[in-house]
Amino acid sequence: MFEARSISVRYGKHLALDDVSLEVGTSECVAILGANGAGKSSLLRGLTQAGLRERGGVIRHRGEDISATNDFDLVEKGIALVPEGRGVFAELTVDDNLSLGAHPKRARESASERRAEVLDLFPKLGQRLAQTVGTMSGGEQQMVAVARALMSRPTLLLLDEPSLGLAPIVVDEMFAALHKVRDSGVSILIVEQNVRASLALAARGYVLEAGRIVGRGSSAELVADPMVAKAFLGH
Amino acid sequence: MLLSTLVFGVVLGGTYALVALGLTIQYGVARIMNLSFGEVVMFGAFATFVLFTGASLSPVLGLFVVVPLAFAISWILYTVLMRPLVKRARHPERVEIDSILVTFGLLFLFQGLFTQAFGSGYTGYGWLQAPVEILGARVASGRVLGLGLACLIGLGLWAATTRTRWGLTMRAVATRPAFAALVGIDENRVARQAFALGGAIAGAGGAILSMYQPVTPIDGGFLTMKALVIVIMGGIGNMGGALAAGLIIGIVEALVSYAVDPGLTLAATYAIFLAVLLWRPKGLFA
Ligand SMILES: Nc1ncnc2c1ncn2[C@@H]1O[C@H](COP(=O)(O)OP(=O)(O)OP(=O)(O)O)[C@@H](O)[C@H]1O
Ligand SMILES: [Mg+2]
Repeated sequence: MFEARSISVRYGKHLALDDVSLEVGTSECVAILGANGAGKSSLLRGLTQAGLRERGGVIRHRGEDISATNDFDLVEKGIALVPEGRGVFAELTVDDNLSLGAHPKRARESASERRAEVLDLFPKLGQRLAQTVGTMSGGEQQMVAVARALMSRPTLLLLDEPSLGLAPIVVDEMFAALHKVRDSGVSILIVEQNVRASLALAARGYVLEAGRIVGRGSSAELVADPMVAKAFLGH
Repeated sequence: MLLSTLVFGVVLGGTYALVALGLTIQYGVARIMNLSFGEVVMFGAFATFVLFTGASLSPVLGLFVVVPLAFAISWILYTVLMRPLVKRARHPERVEIDSILVTFGLLFLFQGLFTQAFGSGYTGYGWLQAPVEILGARVASGRVLGLGLACLIGLGLWAATTRTRWGLTMRAVATRPAFAALVGIDENRVARQAFALGGAIAGAGGAILSMYQPVTPIDGGFLTMKALVIVIMGGIGNMGGALAAGLIIGIVEALVSYAVDPGLTLAATYAIFLAVLLWRPKGLFA
């Protein structure tokens, strides 16, 4: 369904992402594992910002070549990104953030149904609709970010370390919600350092190291892989 | 006499507040410090004059010609002059410096054109000068109408930014431009709209100003400065703050020119501005 070929990202002379290819199937969840600085965020940027990509990269989504699509048009094509650092509108309320999530034309008509769904997914947000997002805890802000992305009725959700900096109990809450999102049929590409949780969510994964894909396999294979275990699981 | 001075001040302040709203929309959303902003106000005043004297079009109906024209001019200015600056800049601060330089140049270009066309003296027209009585003060009906129009437009803007989807996108771009794309908003498109809308408001402010006082080609620069003072006093992006600050400046100007000396109004404005900067640098209501 989603397919990226030969994606490279360069910052000045530094090649942060070197010729990466990957695909995500319909209703499939795929994890990208990698240590700090491996290029995980650069990968998501490379997938969503045509201007940042080196020439030669190709991206297709649902049969359409979207290599040249502007970043602001991707949501309209069904691709929603929750970036590193969340990207919420901190000065606006939860309600405004959700409304903005439904800004793309594809989501406008069904906005009220979507709103009911995401508030069902994150009940905490329902009592906080009038709160300014910047005054919320990190976990709550992350929920707003994911909820806002879901408001756009995505077919593919791109997540950059949704568990970063959250307390263990909040991480569990977040992943429980993501399991529901996955089961509802939304494809997910998740970038994580929390290998256990992300491999429990994903059917398969890629291992990223110094900007290159150095391993791939089903979640079961990756959990059992001594290299993955050594690098990420700490045993 | 004091009472009518106060009423004059409120009318003037209402126009100033409206003009400042235009500037704060341009600066807050499009992030362009437009030093030629007052020239668009002057365009509104001169165009209203031309329509009234040349085509006998009532200044109120003239708004329906002047405001779209001011919108179009600002749209073109953004597309032709500002967009390239935004595009080539690596940092947002760069845009601010570049746009200040470019619009400073524009200021003189516009002033030259106005002087060429209308001469350096006062340009005005007599309209609705019959006085009406307000709280015992006698005020020209043109002034009262001007205040009413400024209030109406200001109210409409407030409703549009706080109550509509369009307003929400404006607020999103104003606060977090980098995240606009995440929800499918084309930041450049919104910036261009905001810049043009700010210009349209400037045009309306100029048309209203011309309804009750004559103007000269150099007034634009002073209006830009006053609008800046009001925006900073009220807090950038704070519409209620701009209204209050505009009224304060208008009333002080009217009082100083009545009780002290008309030549000192600008000095008084800056004295207030300095006091605010020292005492409340983020605006009166921060
Ligand atoms: N804007 C930038 N300019 C220059 N170098 C950058 C920039 N962003 C990232 N890099 C470099 O590119 C490499 C990959 O960074 P990236 O942020 O993609 O890693 P990551 O896997 O997301 O790391 P983390 O787990 O810390 O988020 C790093 O070496 C980083 O220093
Ligand atoms: Mg990262």
